[in-house]
Amino acid sequence: MPAPMPIDPQDVVNAKYEPRKTRPGVTTKRTICASCDIACSVVTEVEKGRVVRVRSSDNPIFRDNICMKGIIAPKGFANPNRILHPMKRVGERGSGEWEQVTWEEAFADIGARLKAIIAEHGPEAWAVSTSQWNTATDHGLGRRIMNHIGSPNWTSGVALCAGNTAAINRFTYGWFPIGDFQNTKCIVLMGHNPRRHSWTPMYTWIKQAQARGAKLIVTAPRRSSSAERADIWLPLKVGSDAAMMFGWLKVIIDEELYDKDFVANWTIGFEELKKRVDEYPLGRVAKLTGCDPDMIAKAARMYATEGPAIIPWTPITDMQRNSTSGIRLQSILRSICGYIDVPGGEHLQGFNPDVINESTIEMHHVLSDEQKAKQLGSDKHPAFTYRGQERFRGPTKKVWGQEYANLVMGCHMTPPSSLFRAMAGEGPYPVKAFFFLGNNPMMSYANMKLIIKAMMNQDLVVAHEQFMTPSAQLADYILPADSWLERPWLMDSFGWMSTVRTSEKSMEPQGECRSTFEFWKSLAGALARPEIVPWETLEKFYDYRLQKLGMGWEEFGATTDVHFGPPEFRKYLKTGFATPSGKVELWSSALEEMGFDPLPYFREDPPIDPNYPLKLFTGVREDGFFQTGHRHIEEMRKRHPEPLMFVSPGTAEKYKLEEGEWVEVENELAKISIKVAIKDAMPDDLIRIPHGWWKPEMKQGAGHLSGALKYADAQLCRDDEDYLDLEQGIPHLKGVPCRVNKVAQSQDDETARTQVEFAK
Amino acid sequence: MSAKDQQIKKLERSTKLTVWMAGKSSRNKSLSDKICRFLVSRATAVKPEDDFLRDPLIDNDQGFDPDELDRFQRGESG
Repeated sequence: MPAPMPIDPQDVVNAKYEPRKTRPGVTTKRTICASCDIACSVVTEVEKGRVVRVRSSDNPIFRDNICMKGIIAPKGFANPNRILHPMKRVGERGSGEWEQVTWEEAFADIGARLKAIIAEHGPEAWAVSTSQWNTATDHGLGRRIMNHIGSPNWTSGVALCAGNTAAINRFTYGWFPIGDFQNTKCIVLMGHNPRRHSWTPMYTWIKQAQARGAKLIVTAPRRSSSAERADIWLPLKVGSDAAMMFGWLKVIIDEELYDKDFVANWTIGFEELKKRVDEYPLGRVAKLTGCDPDMIAKAARMYATEGPAIIPWTPITDMQRNSTSGIRLQSILRSICGYIDVPGGEHLQGFNPDVINESTIEMHHVLSDEQKAKQLGSDKHPAFTYRGQERFRGPTKKVWGQEYANLVMGCHMTPPSSLFRAMAGEGPYPVKAFFFLGNNPMMSYANMKLIIKAMMNQDLVVAHEQFMTPSAQLADYILPADSWLERPWLMDSFGWMSTVRTSEKSMEPQGECRSTFEFWKSLAGALARPEIVPWETLEKFYDYRLQKLGMGWEEFGATTDVHFGPPEFRKYLKTGFATPSGKVELWSSALEEMGFDPLPYFREDPPIDPNYPLKLFTGVREDGFFQTGHRHIEEMRKRHPEPLMFVSPGTAEKYKLEEGEWVEVENELAKISIKVAIKDAMPDDLIRIPHGWWKPEMKQGAGHLSGALKYADAQLCRDDEDYLDLEQGIPHLKGVPCRVNKVAQSQDDETARTQVEFAK
Repeated sequence: MSAKDQQIKKLERSTKLTVWMAGKSSRNKSLSDKICRFLVSRATAVKPEDDFLRDPLIDNDQGFDPDELDRFQRGESG
């Protein structure tokens, strides 16, 4: 914030913000866009009861935080193929035969069938895949019902995207920090590439920080747009992020660039860490990462000396076999350089004290220890399960005021692969009922073939969805979901940050679409446990959550864009850290107690199979899409008409690949069809596969799944032990061996058919 | 107090002031809120030539016609 400028009093009197001109008959609402997961504050314009436009917020602190996915939302949700009524499967599963039913009829049957499954197999036979991130008005109510009923088997896409980062960060300092972009002097992007139309606020913060003179370091195999404007770009080998961080630590420790006072007073395990780091001299790190050792050292020095610095969350370390070590190494770098909980560094914010948080709503204390112990995967891969997070209950109560802190929903999850194996009949006990909300599970986790088998093996599959996704096509019931235009939202940053924001309801839900709140309330009633969700409406539930503020939702929502928590720093000076030792645990006592290496390490790739000489990475989002969504929107599909495989000119030449040619990418699990796009920015022998491709216009039902069986990257994602992180059990998506097969060029017809379908 | 501590304290005070102003600016009801809004707006303004967020797709968006959206939802138009 610059120094106050001289102000003419008359200017101040007239300083009220002038709302932008709107057309006659148009009203505006302050909302939060949920077209992706970054939650931009925006304004909707409403005419004749419909949202007709989404534009950026009038609030200067949210200036221009909007992208193409936000502005297209009014048309996206008006799509004629949107599911507007509850549907019950009447043919074989996946036959595509449905009949319309009422919500009441649906939940009467769902409740009866779920109770029968629980009576036969136990409550742990019921599993849920969702997240508050996608559904917004879940607010932890799903977990609350599961905890009361007795099932620990909840999983989510956040298991390999941010939720697991939050859980693993707790092992080092007890919370998940957020970078202070406004005051930082150095930003490290590990593979993440925020852009104008993808993660817009983060893109803005980075550009603003650079304009103030902050340094930018990018580690990424391909020359991304972030890499192009970085002060240092380290083009590391895919999946070698942890090795790179060992190299940085080697330089920082050897050259004594760390914060000696902080290390001496607030960490444990520094000497053990030093010995581990000594196993990674720069020559070895250069070999593992493929980067110049001098550049590695230069980047390490920049990070350690140009601070305070931040390493913002990145999906890259969430999705690899060294995920736990990678996330821990980020935590360790932040800690030993003295960047934890200081301005310009990484802020440990805690819960907002004024609002009842989602971790409290979830009521994890009512789930018995016996049922917690049944959580699938917690024996082999416990890091983010109840078992793995158990040691933080006491310290979290001491530091943050409550035992359970389900940061980013990621701290009490079932590892997805363990869940789907059990659902497929390959686990320690049967799982026979599967609910998914705002989630396309078949395409969102590794080993799609296994997930299909798992879904086909269920006695009850229930979806809460807006569109007929490939996963919904295998459901027994599809309940129509509302959109972010059609409901209010009290957004508490998923317990990660202390900022609370509000979103006004802009229009009535279409058809019989209902919120996730109403879904869970209906289920609690159907299970004869209405007391679990006692609030009549979402608004009354928000009144309950806001009671400490002495105002209800109506007043809070009408008067508040954003409600900040108290901006306290270095809280550890009073409370210590929320770890078993009360200090930053470079040596993790929790990991040690579970039988894992208490220090980070680097697990190298298995030997190369000559049949699969290339490596692929996936998880990449395209600007017009988010996850597997938005494929039904013509304007977005015109931008991305077909899935594109990025490949370097050298690799294209080596394998005689031509621009625009259809090929197959194959590995031990499956093969997918994709078009070649030759990119200078790509390194040799690495291909980039976009995430989540299917085509809503293609044939639905089992055996087809709207093109998912032809295009979806999840088919290539392995979940065998070599390709799972040991501590978490999440899959390695950053460097999967594969090959590219030349095929006869027959798919232009299909492209033409797609265009004809859209033209209709 | 070390020089580093002093620097951190200074930044802490500055951050607290920024957050306080941003909160009041967002509320935008009382005169003091509006002063904060004015200051925050001025502080966050970017010269047009430096405004990296300008984008024709966003800037030229006029939204949709409600009747057209109705027809689209009924499957009567593309």
